[in-house]
Amino acid sequence: MNEEVQEILFDLLTKQATNGLDVAEQGQLDKLSASGDFFVGDSFELAAAAIGLSGLDIDEPMPAHLYSKILASSDKYYATEGFSEAEVMSEPDDMQPTFGFEPKRSSWMGWFGWAVASVACIALAVNIFSTRVQKPIDVAINPTPTASPDKPSPAKQFEEMIASANVIKASFGPAPKGPAELASAGGDVVWNDAKQTGYMKLRGLPKNDKAVSTYQLWIFDENQDPKYPIDGGTFDITADGDVIIPIDAKIAAKNPKLFAITVEKPGGVVVSDRKKMAAIAQVTKTET
Amino acid sequence: MAQATLQRIASGDRGAVKECLDTYGGLVWSIARKLLRNSDDAEDAVQEIFVDVWKNAGRYDETQSSETTFIAMIARRRVIDRIRHSARRISADSLDDVMLEPFTRADKAMQMSVEANEAAEAMRTLRPEQQQVLRLSIIQGMSHQEISDATGMPLGTVKTHARRGLTQVREVLGLGNGGHRKEATV
Repeated sequence: MNEEVQEILFDLLTKQATNGLDVAEQGQLDKLSASGDFFVGDSFELAAAAIGLSGLDIDEPMPAHLYSKILASSDKYYATEGFSEAEVMSEPDDMQPTFGFEPKRSSWMGWFGWAVASVACIALAVNIFSTRVQKPIDVAINPTPTASPDKPSPAKQFEEMIASANVIKASFGPAPKGPAELASAGGDVVWNDAKQTGYMKLRGLPKNDKAVSTYQLWIFDENQDPKYPIDGGTFDITADGDVIIPIDAKIAAKNPKLFAITVEKPGGVVVSDRKKMAAIAQVTKTET
Repeated sequence: MAQATLQRIASGDRGAVKECLDTYGGLVWSIARKLLRNSDDAEDAVQEIFVDVWKNAGRYDETQSSETTFIAMIARRRVIDRIRHSARRISADSLDDVMLEPFTRADKAMQMSVEANEAAEAMRTLRPEQQQVLRLSIIQGMSHQEISDATGMPLGTVKTHARRGLTQVREVLGLGNGGHRKEATV
């Protein structure tokens, strides 16, 4: 077998794992497999399955009626087929045990950043606002922030951080196609990668009834698929004017590209349907 | 306990069937819903998938993959087969769908499977165009021709990106011997 044939085989295995094969292609694969020159295991399909899992939201349980139906059918299956008659799904027997995998796989962990993230960010238009200075109101910490001898107020920390170097800054504007009541949303966000801290200074967000809804921040960073932004914490708006909100990133955020605020049910959500986007801040550059 | 579920099913432990449903029902349902985009089709597919899981439980090898990935593979086979035998194709505007879909908290998604995280990390090592092709193909369920139409890449280029990208991912995941010459693995 030469390299050209191996390439054909890999093409077939790739197509099988991604789109499936037609009859002719399956015949070609079977022929190559039968030649005995190659191990044809499940490695391409397992790799595709793992990639598929990385982009999957498991946020909806199987419907109860379907669960019951499958459970009932298992009795029928065991009664008619028997577990000793386990059969091959689609491949010949001699193809199955020949994974040839290395028993020890790499152990590195982590996540990755899709290049698409930046495209997603760019796709979302951000309205730049002109800065106004109003009396800050710290919603998340205190109704009226006060400095203590040991720790400066969130408002003070925000001002210090946004004036410093090596931080990420962006301006909030109303979300495209957002609801009318959120059309005047604006503000600033500042984030320090090294310290993993940040603040938002927001204005124009309507007060929310805590029993009905909350605001939730999402951080899109360079390591995350845009479908899996980092939960930046929930907060409530209880007063008019500017508010200072500390960011509460649930996992480490690295080089955020975009911040988005949604309106969610009390307590926040794991999966946002993004039906009510409150504001968006796109990072255009990092201050150094 | 979860790692033993398939072996127990293979050995005829009916209690493991319920455990399998409890553990992987949401996973299989989500895969079917994601790729078929139709609840009725998804329900039919999920029933077929679990029969496939029971039939193939004895083939699961925990040294090769997690149960999650193995079951996801079986689910994908069945769903792909259904897609191929139906007229349903995903339209080119799925590129926009990628950006418009609901998003999930990263910390939650990262708990799903070690291999999913490894695959995600492996994807990051690929060229951007390879990532794009694999993402549209595997996660969005688009055919190579649809990807070509949607992105403007020549079909041959799409296939090449898919092959090279998937080959690299499987090697990073330690799955790299499948398809290799016999003599190279003896």
